[in-house]
Amino acid sequence: MTQTFEFRQKSHLDPALGEAGWQTLNAATLIGRWLNTDPGTRGLAELTIKKDGELFGISAIAAGASGPIEWPLTAAKALANLEEEAGQRAVALEVTFDFGFMKAAAHIRVNKGVLVIVVFHTFSDNSGRSNYVNREFFYRQV
Amino acid sequence: MQFAQIRDRVDAGAVTAGPIDLSPFPGMWVNSNPDTNGIARLVASESGGRLSLRVYGIGPNGLIDWGAAEARVFAGGPSSRTGAGFTCVYDFGFAETRLEGMLAKGLLVLAQFHMFKDDSGRADHFVREYFALTHGRY
Repeated sequence: MTQTFEFRQKSHLDPALGEAGWQTLNAATLIGRWLNTDPGTRGLAELTIKKDGELFGISAIAAGASGPIEWPLTAAKALANLEEEAGQRAVALEVTFDFGFMKAAAHIRVNKGVLVIVVFHTFSDNSGRSNYVNREFFYRQV
Repeated sequence: MQFAQIRDRVDAGAVTAGPIDLSPFPGMWVNSNPDTNGIARLVASESGGRLSLRVYGIGPNGLIDWGAAEARVFAGGPSSRTGAGFTCVYDFGFAETRLEGMLAKGLLVLAQFHMFKDDSGRADHFVREYFALTHGRY
């Protein structure tokens, strides 16, 4: 019997989406400590990605005015990344850091050994600052 | 002014009043990959200071119109008023798709998060595609 699924684009019907174990596949490419390729960044200087069972957690260290600012370990959601990394199934992560006055919603992926993070910042403190998006690149500390 | 990274500490004088300029977005954005199985194109339009999107997915028998959805707009920095990205959510019932777009040198980099709600066993997944604004100049 053929099973039919609803869809809004062909990729929703990709048979690979039915494969088990997506979240554990190739997660090793993400785990570890990552350093910003820009040593003068005014944003995130460092990321640490951990995995405990099926759960991912991300913490960060940001550049501050008088020293680093720690972004606390925050649970991340893993998604199958249909872009393959080195011929293997990959995983992308999404995470939201909530500071009360500002939320930073990010997605993270690894491309050819470079971790790319795109962060959408939303301010709720009436400071007049624009909500903004930026992207930064990280390499794995060895 | 609170900040969680030094980039977000902005001099009060550097923050200008007013909405984010939406002019970088309107038009038809076409996928750079003619063989995509995802989104073929999207049409962005501005009305009354709001940005809306109309997305067309690739189906087995042609384009699938996702309908219009309002987008949240983001600048390129905390003191910028020029649009540089957006987010948008489509709820199809069986799945929710969240779009996160970022402009880079005339290219729209569109991250797509597809989350299934229909117990079909399909994996929630991430796709990134590239789009160019058709401008008719060449």
